[in-house]
Amino acid sequence: MKRIPSSASAPRRSGLPRRAFLRGVGVAVALPWLESLSGLDRTLGAVGEPASPAQFPQRLAVFFMGNGISPDHWWAKGAGANMELGQTLAPLAPFKTKLNVITGLFNKTATGLGIHPPMTGNLLSGVPIQKGAIIHGGISVDQMLANRIGQDTPQASLVLACEQPMTGYHETNFSNAYGSHISWQSADSPVPNEIYPSLAFDSLFENRGSLRNLSVLDRVRERAEKLSRQVSSTDKAKLDEYLTSVREVEKKIERLRVDKSRAEDRARAQGRPALTMKRPENGLPEDLREHTKLMCDLIAMAFQTDKTRIATLLLARDLSALYYPFLNVREGHHGASHHDTSEGYERIARFHLSQLAYLARRLSEMPEGEGSVLDHSCLMFISNMWSGTKHDNKKVPVVTVGGLGGTLATGRALNYLDAGDENRKLCSLYLGLMDRMGVRLDHFGDADTRLAGL
Amino acid sequence: MNTRPFTAAALRALRLALTMVGVTAGFGVAAATAAGAEGLPAAWEGEFGTVVRPFLQKYCVECHGPDKPEAELDLAAYSSTAAVKHDDRHWSVVLERLAADEMPPKKAKAHPDAAARGRVVAWFQALRDDELRRHAGDPGIVLARRLSNAEYNYTIRDLTGVDLQPTREFPVDPANPAGFDNSGESLAMSPALLNKYLQAARDVANHLVLKPDGFDFAAQTMLAETDRDRYCVQRIIQFYHRQNTQYADYFQAAWWYAHRAELGRPQATLAEVAADRAVSATYLALVWSRLAETKIAVGPLVKLQALWRELPAPVAGNPTVARAGCEAMRDFVVQFRKKVEPRFWNLVSGKVGSAAQPFLIWKNVQYATHRMSFDPAQLQVAGEPPPPPPPDPEPGAGNEFGPGKTRPVKNVPGDADLVVPAGERARYEAAFADFCRVFPDRFYMEERGRNYFDTSKDRGRYLNAGYHSLMGYFRDDAPLSALVLDAAGQKELDGLWAELDFIASATSRMYMEFYCSGERQRLGQGESDPAEAHPPDQATLTSPRIHELEAAFLRVAGDTNPPALAAIREYFTGIDTTLRAVERMHRDAEPRHLAALERFAARAYRRPLTAEERADLTAFYRTARERDGLDHEAAMRESVVGVLLSPDLTYRIDLVGNRPGVQPLSDYDLASRLSYFLWSSLPDDALLARAAAGDLHQPAVIAAEARRMLQDPRARALAVEFGGNWLDFRRFEELNTVDRERFTNFTPGLRAAMFEEPVRLLLDVARHDRPVLDLLYARDTFVNPALARHYGIPVPAGWGSNDWWRVADADPYGRGGLLPMAVFLTKNAPGLRTSPVKRGNWVVKNILGEHIPAPPPNVPELPKDEAKLDLPLRELLARHREDPNCAACHARFDSLGLVFEGYGPTGERRERDLAGHPVETAAAFPGGGEGAGLAGLRQYLHQRREKDFVDNLCGKLLACALGRSLLFSDATTIHDLHQRLAANGYRFAGLVEGIVTSPQFLNKRGREELAER
Repeated sequence: MKRIPSSASAPRRSGLPRRAFLRGVGVAVALPWLESLSGLDRTLGAVGEPASPAQFPQRLAVFFMGNGISPDHWWAKGAGANMELGQTLAPLAPFKTKLNVITGLFNKTATGLGIHPPMTGNLLSGVPIQKGAIIHGGISVDQMLANRIGQDTPQASLVLACEQPMTGYHETNFSNAYGSHISWQSADSPVPNEIYPSLAFDSLFENRGSLRNLSVLDRVRERAEKLSRQVSSTDKAKLDEYLTSVREVEKKIERLRVDKSRAEDRARAQGRPALTMKRPENGLPEDLREHTKLMCDLIAMAFQTDKTRIATLLLARDLSALYYPFLNVREGHHGASHHDTSEGYERIARFHLSQLAYLARRLSEMPEGEGSVLDHSCLMFISNMWSGTKHDNKKVPVVTVGGLGGTLATGRALNYLDAGDENRKLCSLYLGLMDRMGVRLDHFGDADTRLAGL
Repeated sequence: MNTRPFTAAALRALRLALTMVGVTAGFGVAAATAAGAEGLPAAWEGEFGTVVRPFLQKYCVECHGPDKPEAELDLAAYSSTAAVKHDDRHWSVVLERLAADEMPPKKAKAHPDAAARGRVVAWFQALRDDELRRHAGDPGIVLARRLSNAEYNYTIRDLTGVDLQPTREFPVDPANPAGFDNSGESLAMSPALLNKYLQAARDVANHLVLKPDGFDFAAQTMLAETDRDRYCVQRIIQFYHRQNTQYADYFQAAWWYAHRAELGRPQATLAEVAADRAVSATYLALVWSRLAETKIAVGPLVKLQALWRELPAPVAGNPTVARAGCEAMRDFVVQFRKKVEPRFWNLVSGKVGSAAQPFLIWKNVQYATHRMSFDPAQLQVAGEPPPPPPPDPEPGAGNEFGPGKTRPVKNVPGDADLVVPAGERARYEAAFADFCRVFPDRFYMEERGRNYFDTSKDRGRYLNAGYHSLMGYFRDDAPLSALVLDAAGQKELDGLWAELDFIASATSRMYMEFYCSGERQRLGQGESDPAEAHPPDQATLTSPRIHELEAAFLRVAGDTNPPALAAIREYFTGIDTTLRAVERMHRDAEPRHLAALERFAARAYRRPLTAEERADLTAFYRTARERDGLDHEAAMRESVVGVLLSPDLTYRIDLVGNRPGVQPLSDYDLASRLSYFLWSSLPDDALLARAAAGDLHQPAVIAAEARRMLQDPRARALAVEFGGNWLDFRRFEELNTVDRERFTNFTPGLRAAMFEEPVRLLLDVARHDRPVLDLLYARDTFVNPALARHYGIPVPAGWGSNDWWRVADADPYGRGGLLPMAVFLTKNAPGLRTSPVKRGNWVVKNILGEHIPAPPPNVPELPKDEAKLDLPLRELLARHREDPNCAACHARFDSLGLVFEGYGPTGERRERDLAGHPVETAAAFPGGGEGAGLAGLRQYLHQRREKDFVDNLCGKLLACALGRSLLFSDATTIHDLHQRLAANGYRFAGLVEGIVTSPQFLNKRGREELAER
């Protein structure tokens, strides 16, 4: 414990310049949570240097929509502010300088095995998957990152979906579990998708995880205290090690909770209530638009408050059964994807891409250091196919927003289609992104080289 | 109190020392204490002042004084007898060096004569004898401690039934001075480690699987639906695979029974034969009854009986003489069954197509319920018209994702199996019906192809109902249940299918997927309503909503096809009934889960729970549900985490009695002590039963339990944990000093095999109660193909890479016993050369228990690569020994390592070293005697050091059993153990029995140490 009480009596001062509050757009004022927390540390006497960009956490969010995009309307030309965007990508226009529209990448191990689930099961892992009754693939890039950098946050990763998984067999004899999950915690098991916004909210903001740990620790501490009264003095010394350890872990968890509520109190006292989010209603939102928005809000809040740095959002699974009456499309998602040149399917693809744009906007409105949370993040949108009509995954659509704290160049349209199969692997992209997040691997999935020119 | 750690070796060294200086007894002080004086008589102190201190002043403190003492040993600091007594560990070394005349060193100015030296040595010996007599059998302080990483892993394995290795990523446990990582002296707890325990407990709890009558743990995490599916499906498949449904095996068993007298078992019953032949007794009895049936004169059974009668009589030495005939019988059954299999055409009705789930299920049901019947239309009765042709086109056959086209059975007109004389139909049908009831067309449907009824494509969908792209399971095993299983088997199988719903929610998820699929939209429902467009919630599963969808189906199905409408009603009624039953099952299970939680905690804590503890468990669960709003499963999981993290599980604490002095351990604490000694894990039910009976502390009972436990597979932990720490190979599998480029055969597989070899031998010694001296002298060892090849031992044909076998005489290959095992030779070689120093040191230290001081910091390094040596290693070592400062230690072990020069850096045999010098294995051993190679070393050990080895083993095993370092007062017990071994042919179990019945093992120091309240 390094809390030094010296400044406790001094007037409490935020380390945060007031203008930081005013940097937001219009009245959508955001409390830059992390900075206020570091200010809090200073109040408590910890040594705090002004944050440099590298001190801000880097975050990755992956958005997935199954069944391909609308190829005619998915293109980008030019660079930076002068970039031109196809109709589907148009919602990202405000972020042209922060975009990378990456074309021509693919996952070779997902080709030639048939359509749908085999195109999806290893989209983020690059490891060949197994047919039939036994499910087997590889760990996905988000979970690899969660394993390596997730310990720094209350939750290692956030794995969300707007559609229930299915688990039967596809006609290719691959399990539909492959089409229903993009995050895999191991070769054999996907990460269970959270589809209920209310439960995702609880786990993040009600500190469900830490509350539960506190309950358990509380219980074992009581037990150890009882035991400790019955044993010899030498044994008591050994038990005290255990007791002290339990108390320390409890204190650490409590401290995090106190920090959070103090930051909130302080913000309220200054008339700047923390950007809060009402707990979503139990159950599933009836309107898909409401569902996707809530999920994006959850990611935004989680990133801003550093609850987690890794998120995946499965907007529409492979073989999706979502319906889009509000887009005036009568067919379900999967059926509609078989007409990917139709206006209706373009609207579907644009609807999902606009979720990425929405999250990008939320994060861009959250100041952090000299920039915003978006600048320290990478939001990636990906589908398992290019064309749903042709079930073609010889290239897949990828677009990223955000510069990962200045480590990722942006404002570019990159095309790898003619680079040769060895030089256009999705896993090479993942290696490049992981590098930038401080996780250096020799190989990942089917790649052992970084994507050139990323 | 006497808490100083002390090794058996130090005691032995002291005795050796006394012999060497020719002093036995007879000094005044020793005589005085022998008279029984308590405390510290003045005579001790007197002699310390008149004899010992002046000696130290005169000969020792110049180097070992307060000012920069050599070896950090300040002998001037010992001002009283008590100070000496409190530091046995240093004094044992002092006396050892003194007695061996290694100190003072040659270069010292003054040297005592033998008599003066002897006087000091004898004083100390007498002091110890006195201590020993007064404290023999002292239990010592056995600290409370957390389980070691290894113990926690084994404990979780035995508690959950799955080997999850939760401490895989924990920091390595430190070892105590005795070399074991199982004592409170070395095992500490920290916040960081506690955090890991918390995470590990959560990881384990993620494997929790709730069942209708309790809970269990799965090998994989059970959080994702696909994992739950897989768990349940695989258990059903594995159950199927355990049943024998091979017709030929039953015919052969029947043949065996028919010839039981000739086969030497005239009294054998049918049930006994079934057990011997690994077939179902139930089904064998049925098959036998038909083969023995004499009343049936027509139909397939007549033909089968004809084949049966053709089976040959037994032929001595040819157990498979009837096999071909039995297979011919099987072929007849299979062929015949195909000819009379019923067929069912696709259902369609109105706008509801053949691929609709109600109709697919209907078709599944038709086949599943007709596996033990036949199609009477296939009988070719003289004078009757042929069977009606199938509907053409068959409805719905064109849907590639539906049931497909039904392939009709096509029989040849005039097929002798089917021809029936005019007017005989009824009689034949009865015969066919009976035959087909006994011989079903299949016993169970295990896996299907992508199209249910077309098994030719893409198999591997276990238990699949055949829906296009939607999950769905269908049970089709009625013949197995009815004919092959006994009542217990039927119950088990029903239970497994119930689990598919209970654990994996199969029916509700299937229905939900069905509901969300395009099917209901095709029925004209919910196309434009945003609320309906999105996956609905649990309300979908309520009875009214189910019947709403049923009504919609019935509407669009029209009213032209009554069987189709019935199929729709049955489907939805079936869903509703199942879902309601599953709900009831969940409600009924909750109290059972809480009861199971109590059993789980009692097993985890290794003792019965108190009423208070039971109440606490329930209270914690209730709080999780009511205050924290968790559902039942999550609350159960939290409760399990609480148990797994509890100090009652993670710590070993022997609670003392309420009386002063030495107290017997409670029988439950004794059970834990015994099981953590022999298994590094918690007691099993049998051992806890003895604790409950309260007789475990009786020597005969605990000895019998120990013998039983040594036979258990869990005793492997003794070989790995005790053996691995004693012989210092526990972490061998992490060894990476070997140059893989130079030693290309040193693969991870060979490394693992090297690790396994001593484990196998130790386990064999324990299991078969072999003499412990076999560890030194045995000619046998254990190898797998990788290790055998490394040793040049021929690999018998057909052995797989994981198959191990005992080589009864490994001597021709230079192996046998522990000494020449590759694991030790490799571990004690620094990579590109051998190291006689390390190998010899390993022998004297680990095998013989000799204390060797750590090398001084300034020793010259030997070259790393043997290939670059101008002189053989032995000559370089000989030069090193020319320095008297080095010789003192090296003379004690170099020679014991040089004998291994015939083994290279990875323990491979060799004639020349890596530089091409011929190897020389002869050596002159410490204390006299010469010899060469393994044989020479064994002879030396046998003639001069056997006692050292046995003492060392006894001491090490005792220290491991007690979970503390040895005390000087343990010497009596070690002496007794040695005697006991010698009197019983050195058999291992005797040693274990001696330890578990020793006062140290059975008792604990009592209340004088109680904490202040």
